[in-house]
Amino acid sequence: MAPNPADTLQADPAQTLASVRAELAKVRASVARIERDLGLLEATQRGAGGTGRERPDRYLQVLVDVYDRGGRHGLDPDGFAAVGERHGYDRRGLGGFFTGGRAPLRRDHERILLTPYGEQLVDLYLQRLAP
Amino acid sequence: MSVGGPLIDGDWLQARLGDPDLVILEIDERPLIYRVGHIPGAHCLDWRTELQDPVTRDLPDADAMAGLCARVGITAASTVVLYGDKSNWYACFGFWLLRHYGIADLRLLDGGRQAWLAEGRPLSVDEPEVPAGRETVLPRAGTGVRAMLADVQAAIGGAVQLLDVRTAAEYRGEVLTEPGYPQEGAQRPGHIPTAINVPWDVAVDQDGRVLPEARLRERLREHGVDLNRPAITYCRIGERSAHTWFVLSELLGLRARNYDGSWTEWGSMVGMPVAVGNGERPAAAADPADAGVGTGGAGAVDPPSN
Repeated sequence: MAPNPADTLQADPAQTLASVRAELAKVRASVARIERDLGLLEATQRGAGGTGRERPDRYLQVLVDVYDRGGRHGLDPDGFAAVGERHGYDRRGLGGFFTGGRAPLRRDHERILLTPYGEQLVDLYLQRLAP
Repeated sequence: MSVGGPLIDGDWLQARLGDPDLVILEIDERPLIYRVGHIPGAHCLDWRTELQDPVTRDLPDADAMAGLCARVGITAASTVVLYGDKSNWYACFGFWLLRHYGIADLRLLDGGRQAWLAEGRPLSVDEPEVPAGRETVLPRAGTGVRAMLADVQAAIGGAVQLLDVRTAAEYRGEVLTEPGYPQEGAQRPGHIPTAINVPWDVAVDQDGRVLPEARLRERLREHGVDLNRPAITYCRIGERSAHTWFVLSELLGLRARNYDGSWTEWGSMVGMPVAVGNGERPAAAADPADAGVGTGGAGAVDPPSN
């Protein structure tokens, strides 16, 4: 049985905190890796004609533009609307990029960013451009 | 930041497109983005295969660098302009690598790809050719911009500042890496003892452009950087820290080195001292934007992958 963290904390607070932080960091890294692998599996399934939903090119091009034009900090709402318009999406029709368990985009402090799944879709699109 | 020295803008570059002494290099996190469209005449460098040794974890050796310079046509007379995606992280790594190998005339396009695109400047999908018979340079390593493990160990608590440019969450030891970068995790989270946390994007605006000099100095001071002391920068693998190295060394004139081993080396070796928590960050520099996983940078946003 694992020791009660509260008891250990009293014995050596600094070491316990470091240990718990290390454990938490490893769990988060594992979650990130599993998310990435899951995204790849789903994307592969779609590519093989599986039951996953096919994404139209313009949908993927929106994601590529978010990646390319957003840099590290993502796009602001107007910039995102302009990207959507460039690919034939009305501003009101852009909400679908943020919904569902596998949404490719997310909002953070009024910036629009790719999720890890969205990055996988960008990679899939770009792989088509490989020589 | 004023342009014209190591930092150039789109006007500067567009006016010189076609100049035979200009070598333009695009370096991206995702090199295939080059094929969507790139600055006319730009070569694409793959940081995974061309800016690292393919076997050992190390920089390319001098022979590999000579081959690279021949491929893209860098001569003694060349002005080399670098730019890339993701706010120039990898372009800065390339800049730093070329500086390490003694290439003299290097420039960085402020804001990188996103700035060029935002300004509606011309793009091409054609890959450039290098004219035959060019006498390209033979790079030699050792210009004092690289910090090795021993340099960092010697800097702990000493006169050289250690600057951890990762996110506040990485610095505090709450995460090993960030979503989207699972391959960049180390064995232990935390930071190098006595290092202060200066997220790379302290130096840029929301659009990835470097801040005006006065504001840049102010923000760095706010984060505890002494602009009169030498510094060593590090992150996870040395590319974000190359950005901060560029700002400190090339723009502000500090004696700065980049530790490309970074946290993936330090945090994975047996017996290394590791600090966790807020550490040595000056209390006066506390910034609400640093409270989360984000960077605490100019835009006070918390992007998922920086």
